[in-house]
Amino acid sequence: MLKKYKPFLRAGAIDTMAYRFNILIWAAITVCEVACMVFLWLAVYRSSAGGIDAEIHGFTYREMISYVVLTTIFNFVTYNNDTLWNINTDIKKGTIGNYLIKPISYRGKFSATSLGTLLTMTALFGLPLYTAALVTLGVLGFLPGLTFPAFFAHLGLFLLSGLCASLLNDTISYIFGVLCFYTSSGWGLNSLKVTLISFLSGTLLPIAFFPAGLREVLDWMPFAGMSQNPILILMMKYDLARSLGSVALSAAWIVVLELLAKFLFMHAVRKVTVQGG
Amino acid sequence: MRYVHLYFTCIKRSMISRLEYKKDTIVALFSFFFSNLCSLAALYFILQAIPTLAGYSLPEVGFFYGFSMIPIALDHLFSDEFWLVAYRRVKDGDMDMHFLRPVPVLFQVFAETFQPEGFGELILGAALITVCALNLTVTVTFGTVAALLVGAVFGAVIITSLKVAMAALAFVFKRSGPLLQVIYNFSAYAKYPLAIYPGLIRALLIFVLPFGLFISLPVDTLLYGTHNPWLLSLAIIGCSAVFFALAVWIWTLCERRYESTGS
Amino acid sequence: MIEVNELTKVFQKPIRGNGLSGMVKTLFSRKYDEIRAVDGISFTVPDGEIVGYIGANGAGKSTTIKMMCGILTPTSGSVRIDGMEPYRMRRQVAQHIGVVFGQKTQLWWDIPLIESFKVLKEIYQVSDADYRERMGFLGEVLDITRFLSQPVRTLSLGERMRADLAASMLHNPQILFLDEPTIGMDVLVKEKIRLAIHALNKTYGTAVVLTTHDMTDIENLCSRIILLEKGTILYDGPLARLKNRFGNLKTLTVSVPAEIHAETAPVFSPEVDVSEEDGRMILRFDADKVALEQVVQYAFRDLKAMDMKIAEISIGDVVKTILEQQEAEHAEKV
Repeated sequence: MLKKYKPFLRAGAIDTMAYRFNILIWAAITVCEVACMVFLWLAVYRSSAGGIDAEIHGFTYREMISYVVLTTIFNFVTYNNDTLWNINTDIKKGTIGNYLIKPISYRGKFSATSLGTLLTMTALFGLPLYTAALVTLGVLGFLPGLTFPAFFAHLGLFLLSGLCASLLNDTISYIFGVLCFYTSSGWGLNSLKVTLISFLSGTLLPIAFFPAGLREVLDWMPFAGMSQNPILILMMKYDLARSLGSVALSAAWIVVLELLAKFLFMHAVRKVTVQGG
Repeated sequence: MRYVHLYFTCIKRSMISRLEYKKDTIVALFSFFFSNLCSLAALYFILQAIPTLAGYSLPEVGFFYGFSMIPIALDHLFSDEFWLVAYRRVKDGDMDMHFLRPVPVLFQVFAETFQPEGFGELILGAALITVCALNLTVTVTFGTVAALLVGAVFGAVIITSLKVAMAALAFVFKRSGPLLQVIYNFSAYAKYPLAIYPGLIRALLIFVLPFGLFISLPVDTLLYGTHNPWLLSLAIIGCSAVFFALAVWIWTLCERRYESTGS
Repeated sequence: MIEVNELTKVFQKPIRGNGLSGMVKTLFSRKYDEIRAVDGISFTVPDGEIVGYIGANGAGKSTTIKMMCGILTPTSGSVRIDGMEPYRMRRQVAQHIGVVFGQKTQLWWDIPLIESFKVLKEIYQVSDADYRERMGFLGEVLDITRFLSQPVRTLSLGERMRADLAASMLHNPQILFLDEPTIGMDVLVKEKIRLAIHALNKTYGTAVVLTTHDMTDIENLCSRIILLEKGTILYDGPLARLKNRFGNLKTLTVSVPAEIHAETAPVFSPEVDVSEEDGRMILRFDADKVALEQVVQYAFRDLKAMDMKIAEISIGDVVKTILEQQEAEHAEKV
C-alpha cells in the first residue's frame, strides 16, 4: 500500500543530498547567526533588574542559550519542506490535473516526500548535531534540568514530537498550498505561513514571554508543538506528564488539520477550474 | 536611456501580472504587516521584562527597529526576483529565456519583478520612527538627517548587492537560496543597537556584512552624536559603491558558468 | 547562415551510489559518467533554408539546438551564426535568432498576450513601424489576433505555440530554431502551424531549423533533413534522396473480391511483395525495377481489383528502417 510512495520518499532524500554545498555553507553561517542571537539574549539578561543570573519568565540565560541553539538545530532538521511551492507550481502550470488522475493521493505524495527529507536530515545532520549540542551544553551546565535515566524517556518523546512537528508543518503547508487555488498565487500565503509559524511556535521567542491571555490560547493551538514544546521536552523543562500531553495535543491536531486539508482540497478542486492545459 | 525606458516597460508588465493575482497581493500585503507586527510584538514582550536594553530605552530601541525597515523595504521593492533565482529558477532550468535575449541577464532579472509589498514596510517603518521620535528628545541637525537618508538609500544598494552576489552563486551551485537567506537574515541583528554585541560581532556588522554601518551608526549618531554625520555618509556611500561593483563582478563571473540543462 | 564544425558536447553525470551508504559516499566524493550527447558533427545551413533535424529521443537534437542558440557551451568544436559564436557573443547573436521550445514558453504566463509582445518589442528594439507591420502579418498568418487580450495561461497548446512563434519572429530574426513545435497537438492545429512556418520562411526568407518527431512535419516543410543518432549524423541531404536510399519504393493498396487471397493469387514477379491486410491486398515493390504500369495491370487483371491507391514509402518508414538497421549493427558488434 505504502510502496507506491517510495519514489517520492527517495526523491525527498536525494534532493536533500544534492545540495550538500548549500547545507555546508548554511551550517557555517548559522553558527554566526546563533552567536549573534546568544549575544542579544546576554544583553537582555545583563540589562535585567536582577542582573545576569536573573530568571526571566522561567528561563535563566543559560537555559535561554540552550533553547536558542536547540531550536535552530530543530528548525534546520525539521523544516525543509517545499510542499506549498510545489502545489503552487502545479496549480499555476496546470500540472495538478496529471496528479488528480494518478492512482496515488496528491496529499500522500507530499507527506512521503517530506518524510523522506525529515528522515535523511535527522539521520545525517540531526543525530550528530543534537548529540554535539546536548553534550556541549550539558557539560557547560546550560542544561540544569537534565536527569538520568529519565532523559531517555524525554529523548524518545522528543523524537516523536519532532515527527509530529514535521507532519504538522507539512499539513499546514499543504493547507496553505491548497489555498493557492483561491488566491491563484502563493507568494503572500507562503510568507504568511512562515510568519505565523515562527511567531506562534515560540521560535522567535518562548511563549512564556507572551502576555497571559495570548499564552493561554496558544497552549491549546498546534503551533507550540511545532518548535517550543519539542525543545522544552528535550531540555526536560516539561515533566513527563506535560510532555505526553504535548505530543497527544499535536497528534490530535494532525488529525484535525488533515481532515480540514481533505475538506479544503475537495472544495477547491470542485470550485476552481484548473488553469491552462 | 534605452534601459530606463525598458525598465519601466518591464515593471509595468510586472504590475499587470500582480493585478492578475489581486487576492494574493492582498494576502501578501497583510502578511507583511503581520510579519513586522509579530517581530515588533516579540521585541516589545522582551523589553517588558527589562528596564532598558544596554542603556537604550523602549522608544530608542523602537527607533532602531523602525529605521532598519526602511532600507530593507527599498531593496524589497526592486530586487525580489533574486530570491527566485537563488532558490528555484536556476535549479529548475528556468533561466534559458533570459539568456536568449539581447539584454544583460542581470538587468532582466532586476526588471522581472516590482514588489509593491515594499510600500507596506516603508509605511510601517516610517510610522514606527515617527511614533518613537515623538517620545524622544533629540536635537535634529541637517547632518544627522542626511546621514539617515544616506543610510536608507545606499543601505538598500548594499542589501541589493549582497542579494545579487549570493543569487549569482546559484549559477555555480544550482541553488544558493539558503545561503542568501542566511546572509539576508543578518539584517535582523542590525535592528538592535550595536552596543549589545561584543566587539567582534560589532566589527562583523560594520565591516563584513555592513548592516550595522548603515542602520545602527546613523541612528546612534542621531540619538547620541557618536559619529561625524558627514564622514559617516561618505563611508556608507563608498561602501555601497564597493559592494555594488563587487556584486556585478561576481554576477558576471558566475553567469558565464550558466548552462542550460542537457538533453 | 549557420556553420557547425566538429561540434561535440560531453555531459558529466554524477554516479550515485545505491542506498543510504551510497548517498553518504556521494556527499564526500563524486565520480562522473561521461555522456557524449553530440559527437563531432558538422553541417552548414544557408540563409532561407528549412532543415528538419530528426532522430530518436536522446539522439542529441536539443543539445545541438541549445548550443546553436548559445545556452550550452560546446565541449569542443564550434558553432557560428553569421560568423559569431553564440555562447561567446550571446547578446549579439540573440538579435539574429528566434527560438521556440515546444515544452517551455518564453511568454509571461499570467499577463495578456499583447503585453508580452509589448515588452519583447522593447527588448529587441523593434521600431513602431516594424512592430505594426509584423504584428499585422503575424496576426494574420498565425491567427493570433483573436486571443491577444487573453492571459497566456488560458490559451490552448496550439494557440500558445502560435503565440510563441509570433513572439520569436517579432524582431525578424534571420534564423528560427524550433524544438518540437507541434508536440502534443492535433492534426488540424499542426497543419495551421506548418502553414505559418512556411509563410514566415517565404515572406521573410527566415532560415528554419526544426526538430520534430512528426514525419508529416518533415515532409510538408523541409527540403533537407539531418538525421541524428547517438550524437552523430547518419544522413544529411535532401529529403527525396533519403527516400530513394532503398530504391523508389511504392505501395499499392487494392480492394479485391472475397475469393482472392494472397497465397492463392497468381504470382506476377518475385520483385513484388504481396500481402493481405484487413481484406485488402498490399503490393510493395521498387518502381525502378518493376514498372508501375505493369503492376497496375496485374492488379486489375489477376487480382480483379475494384479500386486502388498508390503511395510512396513514407519518410517515417525510411527513418524507422535506418534506425533499425543501425540498432541491428550495434547489436552485432556487441
